[in-house]
Amino acid sequence: MSDAVPERQAPDGCAAAQGASRRELLKLGAAAGTVVLTVRPGIAQAATSVLNCQIPVPDPGRAGSAIAPDGTTAPAGTQGTFPGGRVFTGEQVRQGLRGGNLPGTGYEESQAYLNYVRRLHYGRSGFTCYASLMVPR
Amino acid sequence: MAGASDAIFRADPPDALVRVSLGAIDALYHRPSGATHLVAAPVPQILEALAEGPTDAASLGRRLAARFELADGEADLLPALAARLAELEALGLVRREPGVAR
Repeated sequence: MSDAVPERQAPDGCAAAQGASRRELLKLGAAAGTVVLTVRPGIAQAATSVLNCQIPVPDPGRAGSAIAPDGTTAPAGTQGTFPGGRVFTGEQVRQGLRGGNLPGTGYEESQAYLNYVRRLHYGRSGFTCYASLMVPR
Repeated sequence: MAGASDAIFRADPPDALVRVSLGAIDALYHRPSGATHLVAAPVPQILEALAEGPTDAASLGRRLAARFELADGEADLLPALAARLAELEALGLVRREPGVAR
């Protein structure tokens, strides 16, 4: 019986990891832009990335959620929230932060989406785009 | 097999770029343009792999696969790499040349 007790079996992945040196994980398909910002010398900081980058509201990780007035996410259909599934460009958000409304939204809805954008942090889809808006002009 | 996928990508010579690691983000100073780019993975890794010499997207993907454990599925790898290369081309860090059989 003593030889019937198996060694703790390593999952296949562990065995493979032992065979090859541990390699850094790299993801080519980045959910967000991989260029955080570009600083160009001597010209206004209207980097093309600001015009073209996109900020999904909410980010794909919370797709289907609604946006509360303070910018937090809430289950779809929650009273007083605004529907998610919107995508704004960096330029639209920049204009919104200057006091304009986001396209197709009223004032309160626009403020809710902008509050969501203000709460973005590193790692969230759209953060790099938002960060690029923060470049001092 | 001519097509867009045959395009050859070329990076500037290594001395054209000054790279400073800031942790999760790298600062790249591009001497020819005077622009500074703050970039996150996988951009520095792609530029490093391309520094070995001009090549097409498929071959560049193989270089990266040899160095890294790629998180992308096989079907996603080339489209994702093509998107990153297009971004780098737009920044002026990578040039695209018509594919030439070598």
